[in-house]
Amino acid sequence: MERMTDNTVVLRNVSKVYRQNAIAVHALTEIDLDVPRKDFMCLSGPSGSGKSTLLNLIGGLDRPTTGEITVDGQRVDQLPKGELARLRLHKIGFVFQAYNLIPVLTAIENVEFVMQLQGVATAERREKALQILMEVGLEGLESRRPGELSGGQQQRVAVARAIVSEPSLVLADEPTANLDSKTAENLMQLLVHMNTEHNVTFIFSTHDKRVMDFSRRLIKLRDGRIVEDERRQ
Amino acid sequence: MGITLRFAWRNLWRHPRRTWLTASAIAFSATLLVFMITLQLGAYDLMIDTSLRVYTGQLQVQRTGYLDKPQIRSTIPEAASLAARLRGAGFPAVATRAQGFALASSGSRSYGVPVVGVEPAHEKEVSTIPGRVTEGRYLSDVRAQEAVIGATLARNLKVKLGDELTLLGSGKDGSVAATIVPVVGIFESGNPELDRHFVQLPLATFQDVFSMGSDAHAIVLSGLDLRTLAQAATRVEARLPKDQDLVLRHWEELLPGIKEAIQADMVQNWFTYIVLIVVVTFSILNTFLMSVLERTREFGVMLALGASPYRIGSLVMLESTLLALLGILIGMGCGSGLAVYFHFEGFTFPGMAELYGQFGLPGVIHSKLSFTTLTLGPAVIFVFTVAAALYPALRIRRLTPVEAIHAV
Amino acid sequence: MLRAQPLLLTLAWRNLWRHRGRTAAILFALALGIWSMVALAALSRGSLEGQLQKAIGNLTGHIQIHARGYRDDPAIDHRMPAPDAALATALTDPSVRVWAGRVRVPAVIASERESAGVTLVGIEPQREQGLSFIGTAVTDGRYLESPGDTGLLLGRKLAERLETALGRRVVVMSQDVKNQVGDRGFRVVGIFDAEPEAIETAFVFVGRATAQEMLGMGDTLSEISLRSDDRNRLEVPLSTLRTVAPSLDIEPWTVVEPLLTLTEKIVNVILVIWYAIVFAAMSFGLVNTLLMAVFERTREFGLFQALGMPPRHILGQVLVESLILLAIALVIGNLGALATVHALRDGLDLSAFAEGMEYFGVSPIIYPALSVGDVTMANTLVAVLGLVASLYPAWRAARHVPIEAITRV
Repeated sequence: MERMTDNTVVLRNVSKVYRQNAIAVHALTEIDLDVPRKDFMCLSGPSGSGKSTLLNLIGGLDRPTTGEITVDGQRVDQLPKGELARLRLHKIGFVFQAYNLIPVLTAIENVEFVMQLQGVATAERREKALQILMEVGLEGLESRRPGELSGGQQQRVAVARAIVSEPSLVLADEPTANLDSKTAENLMQLLVHMNTEHNVTFIFSTHDKRVMDFSRRLIKLRDGRIVEDERRQ
Repeated sequence: MGITLRFAWRNLWRHPRRTWLTASAIAFSATLLVFMITLQLGAYDLMIDTSLRVYTGQLQVQRTGYLDKPQIRSTIPEAASLAARLRGAGFPAVATRAQGFALASSGSRSYGVPVVGVEPAHEKEVSTIPGRVTEGRYLSDVRAQEAVIGATLARNLKVKLGDELTLLGSGKDGSVAATIVPVVGIFESGNPELDRHFVQLPLATFQDVFSMGSDAHAIVLSGLDLRTLAQAATRVEARLPKDQDLVLRHWEELLPGIKEAIQADMVQNWFTYIVLIVVVTFSILNTFLMSVLERTREFGVMLALGASPYRIGSLVMLESTLLALLGILIGMGCGSGLAVYFHFEGFTFPGMAELYGQFGLPGVIHSKLSFTTLTLGPAVIFVFTVAAALYPALRIRRLTPVEAIHAV
Repeated sequence: MLRAQPLLLTLAWRNLWRHRGRTAAILFALALGIWSMVALAALSRGSLEGQLQKAIGNLTGHIQIHARGYRDDPAIDHRMPAPDAALATALTDPSVRVWAGRVRVPAVIASERESAGVTLVGIEPQREQGLSFIGTAVTDGRYLESPGDTGLLLGRKLAERLETALGRRVVVMSQDVKNQVGDRGFRVVGIFDAEPEAIETAFVFVGRATAQEMLGMGDTLSEISLRSDDRNRLEVPLSTLRTVAPSLDIEPWTVVEPLLTLTEKIVNVILVIWYAIVFAAMSFGLVNTLLMAVFERTREFGLFQALGMPPRHILGQVLVESLILLAIALVIGNLGALATVHALRDGLDLSAFAEGMEYFGVSPIIYPALSVGDVTMANTLVAVLGLVASLYPAWRAARHVPIEAITRV
């Protein structure tokens, strides 16, 4: 790997074309991007600008049509399915817009879920899960099922789950879209806290101006191209 | 109605895989039932027909009490003239028989056997035995001095064609009945019992030997379609002399085993059919249930638009009915195809010939094609499926618009 | 996979109870199917067992020994000498539980009024106890007392036919060893009942020595019948007997009554067909229900994949769900069948169709017999094929998750 090792994510000349019937939809065109370790980066842009596609490609949920994607030194675009699953399990955390949690599992079981897949011993896993739930402010709600939690609480559980196994990268696709502004703000503060405390790279997407303001780097996408890459303080 | 029907039909194809799977389950059971019922009834017809045609006939005039105790003294007087009168009752085949018992001896062997006196000309019409003579020929004339015997009996007696057979029994009046006749034919009726036991003599010869005069024991009537038998029986009964203590016996009385065998088999088969149908019904109940549950929101909108729960329920029932009909039509198609094939080609499996042969039946069953055999099974499945669809349809009455619209 | 098992179990179990009604419906269908498999097997097996026992009890026994040619032509010409020392020793072997020699020839029986063709059987009364039905079949009068008893046992139906009764005299005629028709008068000392009724008109019983004397047979016999401990393991006694009496025709019941073995084979085939049919009917429901469960949870499976759950675990989760369903249904179905068999332990009485059952050679009272083989076969079939059928829904769950399903509302 001749790539710079202090980058968590590296994209080179990445394009994604969807074929819908006879029409080719250019979702992403020739994206080059380096995301350094511990970055807290926001993808913004109107609907259909390619935010979600980019996140999916980085997370290995989808494959690029052309180009190279490297996450933590591994070529995501070339990994076989099983390896991709392993990569996601150990290196990447996800927070989605909604339906983040497995409905039949309680809050703490949802957090434990990933660790269980990783094979972490029961006692250790329980302790870690309790601790992270406390950290996201859900103490006492551990044994509730998702249906018994508010939208904001559910997203907190999702963040706890994404962070608990100490991944190098957390991808969050519009994590605040379904939340009111007060709750959204709290959640973003939590993400910032996790970013600084746990040394995790964050990439999230949003089209909420106030949410963008939490980021240290703002990338604007339009029609599948990066039109702006702005460093902030 | 046109629109509702189209609406229901389109709803069905919102989940093509589920619809096909459910329709296949119904089609599968309908196919199976059509196949099995046509085969089953084909087998019954075969049992009845074969058993009756071999020897028994469809009706027999007998002396009261002869059926239970076939004694040589229980006779029909002037049997030939009565038989002649009964020929006018619409039966294509009428034959007179007398039956006694004798010790049949060849040079080296003796067996106690029933001896039957038959009218060679008429016997051919009521029984298949005359046509099943495999060696020699059948009896030539009602007065001929000759005998035909079953193949197994011939083997046991070590008798060959042309050998003489000594018959020794007792006549109607208790006198000794004895005669020596040549064996002119050996038959294989297909019924092991008959082949092992039977000796046939011409009727007049039998009457001489057994001192019967012109009496006989049975007038056998046959050759009609079994469905018209009841009417024909009334006509026959009207012609029977009232003072001679005679009765008309139906085949069910003459061969009670067959009727009950069929009933027993029916009970057993319907038990399995019903189990199968219930298993299928509960298997597809979930399809109907889901088609209601997953559309709660949609129904809520319809309720809000002013559709009554009854109307929505009818729509759901219509969908289920269409689905059931689809499956049943496919099933009836496949089932009828199988039935038509086996109607012409016949159905058999290894070992069946031996097993059926024991009862004198051929080892091939031809499916019975009729409106009932082709539709009864599918009809029962249809009733069960539609009954299963009622439960989800009735659940709709519990919906209130507001809750339903907000359901996910 | 192994270490994820508790997780898969928890997920599968909780998912099952998300739709109680749906799970209950499919459980009922599965359990009913299994119940019908096991119950029908028990009934068929019981009916067959009844037929076998009846046939074996009706003079066949487990092994029959004859002079060569007797089975083809059961006449007095084909008689065999009384057991010599070697055969007698072999017959005292512990593998032989009971045995008896018989005279068995065709004969004519006549009362004052009627006559009929029958098989005359000369028996050793004590030895027939536990060997054939006649030892316990006499319901009027007395059983024979010794081989030299001069009385005769007559079937109830035949007694009616002949218009004779207990205590009256009948004449039996049969061919003796010199091919002369010999006759002898007997007093009817006992009337027996038997099933099927045809047995009552087919056989009359007298003392063995009396018959031998009447037919001039000396101490020769028509047949020896014996019972072993297990009718399905006759190889050892058969080979012993064949070694000591190479000139005799020694055959097991399966050869003497080939129809019974054939019936058993056909019953086996019919059961397998029934299993297959019921299973097919159940699998439609099982696959359909699992598919519904899988499709409504597409988003969840997408989430699992995003979280890095390997596809085989997702496959496993659906299979475990199916396995739990099958296991519960198997338990209920088998318990139901057990309860049915227990409830029918005094016999399922089909005597309403007695003559019909007799036509088929089946006893009208069926005692259900659970065989381990049948139960194992039914259960294995349902469990294994059930899992195989679930592979399709499981495979649908494990792949083909559109990204939109995961990331969009």
